[in-house]
Amino acid sequence: MEKQNSRREFLKKMTAASIAASTTTISMSSFLSSCSPEVQKRAATADTVILLWMAGGMAHTETFDPKAYVPYEKGVESKRILSTFTKIPTIVDGLEFSEGLEGIGSVMDKGAIIRSYKSADLGHILHTRHQYHWHTCYEPPQSVQAPHIGAWIAKELGPVNPVIPPFISIGQRFTMGEAEELKAFHSAGFLGTEYGPFLIPDPSSGLDSVRPPKGMSLKRFESRYKLYQELVNKSEIMEKGSNYQRQSLMRSMEQSYRLLNSPEAKVFDLSQEPKEVYDTYNTGRFGLGCLLAKRLAMNGGRFISVSTEYEPFLGWDTHENGHIRAKNMKALIDRPVSQLIKDLDETGHLDKTLIILASEFSRDAIMEGRPGELVKNQVDQPDIIEDEKYYGMHRHFTDGSSIIMWGGGVEKGLVYGKTADERPCSSIEKPVVIDQVHQSVYHALGIDTQTHYEIEGRPFYTTPDGKGKPILDLFGKSTKIS
Amino acid sequence: MDTSNWILQFLGRLHPLLVHFPIGLLVVALLLEFLTIGGKRKGLREGINWMVYIGAGFAIFSALFGWFLKTQDDYSGNLVDNHQYTGIATAILGLVTAIILKNSIKKAKLNLKAYRFMLFTTVILLTIAGHLGANLTHGEDYLTAILPGNKEVYSNKESGALLSELKGASELSELQKDKLSLEVRGLFAHKCYQCHSENKQKGELILEHKEGVFKGGKSGLAVVAGKPEESEIYKRIILPADNKKVMPTKGKLLTADEIALVKLWITEGAHWSDQAVKVFPEAPLKLVKPELPKVTEQTHPIDKIVSTYFDKNNVAWQSLVEDRKFIKRAYLDIVGLLPSPEAITTFVNDSNPKKRELLIDELLNDSENYTQHWLSFWNDLLRNDYSGTGFITKGRFQITKWLYNSLKNNKSYDQMVSQLMNPDKSSEGFIRGIKWRGVVNSSQSTEMQAAQNIGQSLMGVNVKCASCHNSFVSNLTLDQAYGFASIFADEPLELNRCDKPIGKIAKVNFLYPELGSVAGKTLKERLLKLSEVMINKENGRLYRTITNRVWERLIGRGIIEPVDEMDNTPWNAELLDWIAADFIDSGTDLKHLIKRIMTSKAYQMPTVNYKKQEDLKKDYVFKGPVLRRLSAEQFSDAISQVVAPVYQAVAFNPNEEKMPAQRIWHHEKDLTNTVLPLPGKRYFRKVFQLSKKTIKNASVLISVDDAYSLFINGKKVGEGNDWTKVGKYDVTHLLHKGDNIIAVEGNNIGKIDNPASILFAMKVVFTDGKSFKLYSNETWKSTDRTPNKNWINLNFDTKKWKKVKNYGNSNWAKLLDFTFKEHEKTFARASLVKQHSFLKALGRPNREIVVSKREEQATLLQALELTNGAYFNGVLEKGAEKWLEKYGTDSGVIVDTLYQKLLGRHPSSDEQKILIASLGNQPNAEQLQDVIWSVLISPEFQFIN
Repeated sequence: MEKQNSRREFLKKMTAASIAASTTTISMSSFLSSCSPEVQKRAATADTVILLWMAGGMAHTETFDPKAYVPYEKGVESKRILSTFTKIPTIVDGLEFSEGLEGIGSVMDKGAIIRSYKSADLGHILHTRHQYHWHTCYEPPQSVQAPHIGAWIAKELGPVNPVIPPFISIGQRFTMGEAEELKAFHSAGFLGTEYGPFLIPDPSSGLDSVRPPKGMSLKRFESRYKLYQELVNKSEIMEKGSNYQRQSLMRSMEQSYRLLNSPEAKVFDLSQEPKEVYDTYNTGRFGLGCLLAKRLAMNGGRFISVSTEYEPFLGWDTHENGHIRAKNMKALIDRPVSQLIKDLDETGHLDKTLIILASEFSRDAIMEGRPGELVKNQVDQPDIIEDEKYYGMHRHFTDGSSIIMWGGGVEKGLVYGKTADERPCSSIEKPVVIDQVHQSVYHALGIDTQTHYEIEGRPFYTTPDGKGKPILDLFGKSTKIS
Repeated sequence: MDTSNWILQFLGRLHPLLVHFPIGLLVVALLLEFLTIGGKRKGLREGINWMVYIGAGFAIFSALFGWFLKTQDDYSGNLVDNHQYTGIATAILGLVTAIILKNSIKKAKLNLKAYRFMLFTTVILLTIAGHLGANLTHGEDYLTAILPGNKEVYSNKESGALLSELKGASELSELQKDKLSLEVRGLFAHKCYQCHSENKQKGELILEHKEGVFKGGKSGLAVVAGKPEESEIYKRIILPADNKKVMPTKGKLLTADEIALVKLWITEGAHWSDQAVKVFPEAPLKLVKPELPKVTEQTHPIDKIVSTYFDKNNVAWQSLVEDRKFIKRAYLDIVGLLPSPEAITTFVNDSNPKKRELLIDELLNDSENYTQHWLSFWNDLLRNDYSGTGFITKGRFQITKWLYNSLKNNKSYDQMVSQLMNPDKSSEGFIRGIKWRGVVNSSQSTEMQAAQNIGQSLMGVNVKCASCHNSFVSNLTLDQAYGFASIFADEPLELNRCDKPIGKIAKVNFLYPELGSVAGKTLKERLLKLSEVMINKENGRLYRTITNRVWERLIGRGIIEPVDEMDNTPWNAELLDWIAADFIDSGTDLKHLIKRIMTSKAYQMPTVNYKKQEDLKKDYVFKGPVLRRLSAEQFSDAISQVVAPVYQAVAFNPNEEKMPAQRIWHHEKDLTNTVLPLPGKRYFRKVFQLSKKTIKNASVLISVDDAYSLFINGKKVGEGNDWTKVGKYDVTHLLHKGDNIIAVEGNNIGKIDNPASILFAMKVVFTDGKSFKLYSNETWKSTDRTPNKNWINLNFDTKKWKKVKNYGNSNWAKLLDFTFKEHEKTFARASLVKQHSFLKALGRPNREIVVSKREEQATLLQALELTNGAYFNGVLEKGAEKWLEKYGTDSGVIVDTLYQKLLGRHPSSDEQKILIASLGNQPNAEQLQDVIWSVLISPEFQFIN
């Protein structure tokens, strides 16, 4: 054991990046006993995950899985509306997207698209409940708090770069409608707050979260910490001997100080980007979120989610004017998402970064729920459209939607699954459920399918009962579970 | 399930049968093949050939049927996969072997080398596949468990204890016979059921029930009452380990004590108790007040028991903590606040030998503060919060008002429990649970939530497991969980196992039926009965559970841990039972319980240091209290008390007057949708008339998010930029009879859209004593277009202005100060505040599920909040300015005052030196802020010592 003094010396010399070991060793999980496994570590094909979250229900027929285009005219029947945009070709032969997604179409040779995702049937459609399910893989409510997928990853793998929190959530604020429901799954649940999300609601002020408090100079920040240390050393309490609680408090303060004092905080600073890069990404907060995600991924982020932000009736939650709103949303995502893929690819980071673009469910012009499980309509939709505001996908559809994955070992140019070309545009080939999506992410990261913890005497798995299986086709047929 | 599926499933289930053919045939074929080596025994050739062909054929069918089994019967996991791969490989190799053999026969020239090699490989693979298959069927430790060195976890200490108890007795009482019977059956459950159950009747013997035990099995009568030597069970369990007839064949043999117990049971007539056998240890329900040990050197009942315990465990009493520490503990534990320096001095100088007890009484009598501290404990435990999941869809109800008043009036615990079980509107939120819209898992129905929460919070038993299937961690069954949940259901509940209905209707029952019936035709009737059964004094569990929780709060570690698992063994059962019984004797008076514990030496000893957290778990021996970290609420309130108010608005205001003013916003539209306001300025107006009476005085209250400028009749009244700070203005001289105009410019600061709102109230008192009041509401008008500067005056055209919108007040906290009454500036107790990022970071849970113990250890995210959190630093900044105003710039005075207020002591000379050096002679606010921060973060302040 080193003495106090030499330990301090040692810390002084320590560079930010070498705090790795200490950061990952704070374990608060006093009540967790790891049962994870007979781990058979697979070689990971990805180190980092970026989740591009299309909050509010993105219609697959208006975006990545277009159907027959029916233009608007007064008196058109609602039931004829399958897509309100024309189809455009993508770089992948035979793969067509909806107009307005030319950029993303141009990078589809670097990723795979799942066209047959089926959301859970949770009865009455509630966005936050489906989002909870998507992000935790468990249907709410649960008798214990289910962790977000980002928290599982943070817990199992820790940070890539010790000064970058392993779970970062960008773009979602928690002050608006259904905020509490959003908070319920932006959580590490029973894994403990240690693994919870580091929240950056506004990417342009992300830097504020990782540097000394606003208005405090670095010099003052350092002398404040020095003062605290001096006081601790003189305190008679420290003569009472070692105590795990005190140690844990002091260790966490030390780490926080190191992190905030670290030169790597500039990773969070978007102003470091050249103006033209910044402008390319800047289609709004989501675009800047993608830019921040890029910087984080390149510098050792582990799990980063960027949300278009969920707010009832805003964003992808189009209850009316669906056509125009979808057009605006596509303009919001197309440029930054495609640029993100290109930038990561050019710098070689795409190989080790898995990017997922997904939404909690899809939308349809007339169907609420799914065939055979229709639920109460939440939006009035006339049979005959006399007003353009009724032109678009205004109802919630759970039987088919698209998920795109790029990088991190994902097969390039793959189209997986299929939805019907006629209403209902349901998944008709290789339907995919959330357990498979999560296990595919874990698969890429080398996290065992049977990872679980004992909680209140019961095993709690990453996916319910540990039954989920990865979609191996996404990673090329040669890959197998060990 | 369609027909093709059941056929596949049926075929799949033939797999275990089929696999024995290739195993038998191919292995024998290989053996015989060995015998033919060197051209010997040519007569075997034909037979071997057929064995290989048939064996290979069956191997293929086995693999195929195995695949059916896997897909149809939902097998999964690595073990299954490995079994599958090796199985398929075996089938293929078998086929290849057969083909090579066939070909070489055709060519009339036996290619023996290749064929023999293939056959050998096939059999090796077959063995592996077979072994994996066996692991699947019998458990993975099937083979290894019997190897020396692999001990089973189950060890039954009870056997020895019971044995020594019974051996002494000349004749067993009925009670003892029952005990013996249950113990033996518990033994059967752990040691024998694996093979001798209804599911798996090895040797045709079933030990699960009375009939089976006395019927015996293939080898004869298992039990002959009175005659162990003739009982097959006894004969088999005493055999040596290497005897192949010894029982159990799986797992460890019985210990000498266990064997003796079985022998005793048979000798005593093999009495069969009708009670259900408890596989898991279960605490007795009944609570009897133990007699206190005759210890004369201790006067406090708790200390008498602890003293005996200490003697037994070689622990010495420590001298009690000094007065300064005691008063701090007592304040924080009862009212959740820090004692003032004056209170400390008075207490320390008080020479009354009973002063500690008097202080406890005094603090317990401060009902308001006692309530505002303990409210957090109860909110956590009863899953009550002011905001959170479920409220938005009206699927959840608060019980705050009921809870607050219950604590404030020190309602007996019995009465509280009774009102929670059989609630009126004010307390129904607890058993009504959280209802989500849509379909939920049957184990999460609101009825089941009630069962789970009552089980966990009040009874310390886990019902969650049993609400899905028979529990693996307790004796609770699915039947019992549904029976319990049925109490709260409007209609009979059908049992669901793992979310699938099993066609059985639950019978209404309490978890512990011996306490009384809860059956009743109507919900109301059942709840009434439940409320009576729960507080039945035979239900010792209810009282032990709360006693243990309060002990844990005050001492830092429960007498039983975890505090939700009351079937676990206490470190001292006598102590727990005595305090719980004393609690009942007091009329279940919670304050009595707190006082009882706090007046003991056990509470007043110094804290014990633990180097590792594990030391508090395994083999724990009580030596004194454990260090406790300040809770989020205690920390926040201490800052509010000493530095600056952390919160000024509450979610629940116990002294609430109805506020008629509404928060209003500009009605923003994007296309046709209502959206959130964009950053920028919004303009609000309200014209009103005053009658001719002369104005005596008039005052205004205003709070705007983010910033405002207020104008009355064209004159600027004031401005502000913090919604929690209520602007209060005297506007007597600005008003006149006739039309008046109020104009407010609201400003959304920042870059991103964010709700912004105005809250306004005006009170005008006329000379005749009558008054006029005006509030912000939907009669106001607003615009988002910059108007010309005349907009603050009466004569202005507002035709294009819109009606404002009230988006609801529920999201907004109640301003403590939004009242015309003059009162001392105060702060909002953190327990009453809506969940906030600062409190959350410090460990206040989201109360969607019951939380009986908060996270204990410091985390990095928490430390970040304390180091650079804008909110926390903002409070400290304000506080430092305030301190400079109040205490001047004498560094010595500041440091001394700060230490007294926060740490309850004067600084040491070393500390004084360091701090004064840091502050300098003329400290500024920044320097002071950093000093305050350093003390707040120090371990001495963060922990209750």
